[in-house]
Amino acid sequence: MNRFLAAFSLTAALVRAQDARHIMQEVQDRARANSQRYEGTLKVIDSKNKISEKRWTYDRIGSAGGSKVVIRFSAPAEVKGVALLVVNHPERSSDQWMWTPALQRDRRIAFQDRSTRFFGTDFSFEDLEERDASQYDYKILGEETVNGALCWKLESRPKKSKSSQYTHAHIWVGKARYVFEKIESFHDGKLIRRLIYSDYQKIQNIWTPLTMEIEEVGRKSKTILNTEKLQYNVPLKDGQFTLQALRRES
Amino acid sequence: MIDLQDVSKQFDGKRKVTALDQVSLSIAKGEMVSLVGASGSGKSTMLNLIGGLDKPSSGEIIVDGQRLSRVSDDQLTRVRRDKIGFIFQFFNLLPTLSCLENAALPLHLRGWNRRRIDERARELLDLVQLGHRLDHLPEELSGGERQRVAIARALSVYPPILLADEPTGNLDSHTGAEILHLIRNLHQRLGATILIVTHDMGVAESCPRTIRLKDGKVVEDIRR
Amino acid sequence: MMLLRLLTWPYVRKHKLRTILTIAGIALGVIVFVGMRTANDSVLYGFQQTVDRLAGKAQLQISSGETGFPEEVLERVQALPEVDVAVPVIEATVKTGLPGQGNILILGVDMTGDRSLRQYEFEEGDESFIDDPLVFLAQPDSLMVTSEFAAHNHLATGGKISFDTMIGPRQFTIRGIMKSGGLASAFGGNLAIMDIYAAQKVFGRGRGFDRIDLKLKPDVSLAKGQSALEALLGSGYQIEPPSSRGKQFESISRIFSIGASLNSAFALLIGLFIIYNTFAIAVTQRRSEIGILRSLGASRRQVRGLFLLESAILGLTGSILGIVFGLLMARGMANYVSSLFGEIYGVAQRVETVAADPKIIALALGIGVATSMLAAWLPARDASQVDPAKALHKGAYESFTAEEGRLRLIGAACFLAAAAVCLFLRGAEGLRLYAGYLSVVLAAILLAPAMVRCLVAALRPLLRSLLPVEGALAAGSLIQSPRRTSATVVAVMLSISLVVGLGGVSNSSYQSLMGWMNNVLNPDLFVAASEQISDRGFRFPASIGDELRRMDFIDEVQMVRTARVRFRGAPVMIVAVTIDSLARRVHPQVVAGDPSRMYREAAAGRGVLFADSLARLKGVELGDTVEIPSPAGVLKLPVVGITIDYSDQQGAILMDRSVFVRNWKDDTVNLFRVYLTKGTTAGEGKRRILAQLGARNRLFVLTNDQVRRFILRVTDQWFSLTYMQIFVAVLVAVLGIVNSLTVSITDRRRELAVLQAVGGLRRQVRQAVWMEAMAIALVSVLLGLALGAVILFYYIGIIREEIAGVRLEYEYPVRIALALIPAMIAVAFLSALGPAESAVRSSLVEALEYE
Repeated sequence: MNRFLAAFSLTAALVRAQDARHIMQEVQDRARANSQRYEGTLKVIDSKNKISEKRWTYDRIGSAGGSKVVIRFSAPAEVKGVALLVVNHPERSSDQWMWTPALQRDRRIAFQDRSTRFFGTDFSFEDLEERDASQYDYKILGEETVNGALCWKLESRPKKSKSSQYTHAHIWVGKARYVFEKIESFHDGKLIRRLIYSDYQKIQNIWTPLTMEIEEVGRKSKTILNTEKLQYNVPLKDGQFTLQALRRES
Repeated sequence: MIDLQDVSKQFDGKRKVTALDQVSLSIAKGEMVSLVGASGSGKSTMLNLIGGLDKPSSGEIIVDGQRLSRVSDDQLTRVRRDKIGFIFQFFNLLPTLSCLENAALPLHLRGWNRRRIDERARELLDLVQLGHRLDHLPEELSGGERQRVAIARALSVYPPILLADEPTGNLDSHTGAEILHLIRNLHQRLGATILIVTHDMGVAESCPRTIRLKDGKVVEDIRR
Repeated sequence: MMLLRLLTWPYVRKHKLRTILTIAGIALGVIVFVGMRTANDSVLYGFQQTVDRLAGKAQLQISSGETGFPEEVLERVQALPEVDVAVPVIEATVKTGLPGQGNILILGVDMTGDRSLRQYEFEEGDESFIDDPLVFLAQPDSLMVTSEFAAHNHLATGGKISFDTMIGPRQFTIRGIMKSGGLASAFGGNLAIMDIYAAQKVFGRGRGFDRIDLKLKPDVSLAKGQSALEALLGSGYQIEPPSSRGKQFESISRIFSIGASLNSAFALLIGLFIIYNTFAIAVTQRRSEIGILRSLGASRRQVRGLFLLESAILGLTGSILGIVFGLLMARGMANYVSSLFGEIYGVAQRVETVAADPKIIALALGIGVATSMLAAWLPARDASQVDPAKALHKGAYESFTAEEGRLRLIGAACFLAAAAVCLFLRGAEGLRLYAGYLSVVLAAILLAPAMVRCLVAALRPLLRSLLPVEGALAAGSLIQSPRRTSATVVAVMLSISLVVGLGGVSNSSYQSLMGWMNNVLNPDLFVAASEQISDRGFRFPASIGDELRRMDFIDEVQMVRTARVRFRGAPVMIVAVTIDSLARRVHPQVVAGDPSRMYREAAAGRGVLFADSLARLKGVELGDTVEIPSPAGVLKLPVVGITIDYSDQQGAILMDRSVFVRNWKDDTVNLFRVYLTKGTTAGEGKRRILAQLGARNRLFVLTNDQVRRFILRVTDQWFSLTYMQIFVAVLVAVLGIVNSLTVSITDRRRELAVLQAVGGLRRQVRQAVWMEAMAIALVSVLLGLALGAVILFYYIGIIREEIAGVRLEYEYPVRIALALIPAMIAVAFLSALGPAESAVRSSLVEALEYE
């Protein structure tokens, strides 16, 4: 799956195949790591250039379609402790729960709500999940240069069309490093979201974008995620990625 | 008994109508006078003024020593009640009251006690020869009988003055003669002052005095 | 039309007062009709409008009566392939505590999903605050209000409002302001949105939802979706479009609208007689005119047409006036009715607009004109039959012909026979009662003239002994002109009988209610979650009961949970309480069943108790097994007892708390019935409970006395609407008396002049008129009191069988009756003052020449 979170697990590797599926598999393989942690700053710039900022810590265990993620907000004070648990499944939509410490309540994010925006950002809840690259069909549309990097331009379509708000996406993969440079997601030919990756750094041998900019087209706002203290293969336990743990740790 | 001094009566309408024009007249006690004239000559107006049913526009009317122009409506009513008996062309009996009750009406209005009223009313109806019809309603009587009841009512307190407005106007000539006979008879027996408005010359001429009105003025005053 | 201008207009101008009175007669009937209807409809419409606005794009709503259901249902519903979006809802109203704002409706929703069903339009800019949606969820004190509410109360984002919650008094922060219109205009704009999980805590819902609103997939029909959901959830749930909630509310409050309809029909009936009266008189007075017309070649049809046209115009004028004033009255009444409904039924609603419903207006116009023309029908026919040759002769045509009298008697006998037959008929209770009621009223109307004659004849000696001449005149006038008086007498008689009937009903109701309160409403204190004992928006956790029980000054605590569930298609109140404890304390009047056995069975969960009224309305009898839908499936229990119970206006189903908790998976409590230990006063108990629990909980402690006063106050308010209608009915009747008297005076100008000519003083003339008025009043009142005795019998029957199921004792309202006699005589006297003055002030000469 090629959502933005997948981008953190890109690894540099040799080109094994030139067809679209192989390119995507290579992107996924190069980014593969057993776990990941970073601190993120999320900035939303609205149509009037008003900026609001929020911080979170991000923990992931597993990779590709089988990963689990806990996002825990740390700032501002009003949202501190609010956590989101995402349990990905290779072949279907993820399960997502939210924990609100002030209410001492967890709540399920229903499948019906996955296309709604993730708390005022330009992301949707669906954009938080990842699926295995094998769940999509790909084809190469051509080559283009993005941010000065020469890219393949690919088209991806989910095999089970009903599981996503998007009908297809255009993906620009940098030829040199096998990393995403840009993703545009469509619904029936209409562009819904545009995602641009930048500030690539090689961390623990994985090319990692430290900045991502996402824009829900037509809303005139954008969301910028900056990552810090990013680490791969940190010692995390499976038990930390459960509802119980979510409740316990708040 | 009845004195009219420069009495005028105007009716205000779209056109001012002068019904009586400075009439001065005197009728002595015990006189029986007929008042004649064409329709609209003012004879009914004069009768109404004397009877206190209406007030003159100017002039003074004195009935049995009482000046009528300066008294209240209720005082006027008392004058009517105590001194005047009315006989109308259309009888004006109250349809819901029996003969006895109709005849007794003025007595009730004067607040007499029941027994006395009853006695007097029977006496009166006997007088007008209706003693056998005490409990009948007016609609059960003939025209002449109704007028007798009306006369009985007019006489109820034995008033010094009896005013009759076309008393025979609504009756056939035979019955009319009977009623006139009755009135004359009563005049002789009771000695009341009687004023009869009529346009029946027969009736008029049967009275010792006849006053003729024309356009609100006395044009003739005949004593026989 | 030419005839109308030539003949009618001068007549109308000459009889201004009478024309006005006639128009007023129709107008008053229409006012009651339009006013009550519109007020009632506005309340219902306001409710439905709020429902619709809150529903947004929701096609179906899932509920389980008012009880709510466990959260898990939501996921099952969302998983159904036919369902596109399903969102949970909690709804409650709270007092804002802000001056002039009254209640605010709080909608608890899941903001993440809800926006696909409901349109939330935010004040500019707010939406893009990243904090907003997340902070809104993260902070349980978040509240979103409408811009209207915010503006009224000078609130902005970040502003605070506070109210009592189930977890104690709490301050809420405004974190969003919705633009007005659409959703934000629901409940008159007094709307706030809260996170649903916060709402669970605030309103004591445990882990349950009140409702699920859902939208189906585009290709799924409503019926298909409905049946899929029914298959999924079973019959314990109601799955209905939002529009049906209005009907449910309507069915709860139907007693009110039935009452309003019956009373406005009665008011119009009285109006009918006023018009009949006017036209009967007009035809009589214009006989010579009609005769001239006929001799000039007018056909019978033209004459009849003239009178019918006149009546139509009067009816139209009266109706239009009635509609205008009725709508004004509705404006004043709607809020009153709304708050009354809130107090009686505990259903949140708010009148938003008092709009003129074209259907009601058209109906009112139709009824007004039809009534007027119907009333004029007989007089118009009489007019058309005037013999031109005889018309100029004055005679006793105001009396009825012997044949007419005979026909009337035969008709009356037929109706009485019909009423008697109805009395002994079995089956079709409602029809039999309504038919009997109607027959009796019609018989009374037909018999009225004959009865007037008899009564007046009987009264005559009395009147004469008071004032010989005046009394005889008054009585005679009444006897001689039944046509003039009988319609008035009928109008007054009907309104008096209405007063007696409704007065008797309210007396008996109060008595029955007092009896119930004395038998059943005996706890020292009531601990409620809302200020209003009928409001079920807030609920206690069961643990509060334990805390109460531990207090040493409390002897016994009964946990009560009330909720409406759907029973046989309509909402019915369930009262779940610990029966064994209840059985020790209360002694309701048992209608059917063995008192000790029925409590034993019910306490063991082997049966339910029915309120007598509810059992009657639903046709439930002792021993029947009733089916009550619950989230756990249909609950089948035998009826083990039937008692007198006014827990709800329609009566309630009483079951043991354990049954409710088991089947509804809900152990929350609305109300605690608290019995104090000997020696503890209510005031002291109240103070100590508040001291121990008040700080942490939302609770209202009401003393027995306060609850009784509340119930009596609401009952007073309920009946005050009835009294208002009675007042209108009496007013109509008074108009009738005035009308009759003015006519009587005109008719008798000559007679009264004669009276004065032969020496009657003004005082005496006045007295004759007064006596006539008072005689009319006395006769009418006597007839009305007699008819009222019969009507009361039917009212009690109809209320029992058709409207409320309540068993009321027949008890003649003697005090009301005794008060009515002098009151109506006084009213008649007052209404005679004007006519009497006009009688003594008219010119004698003219009157004597009057022909």
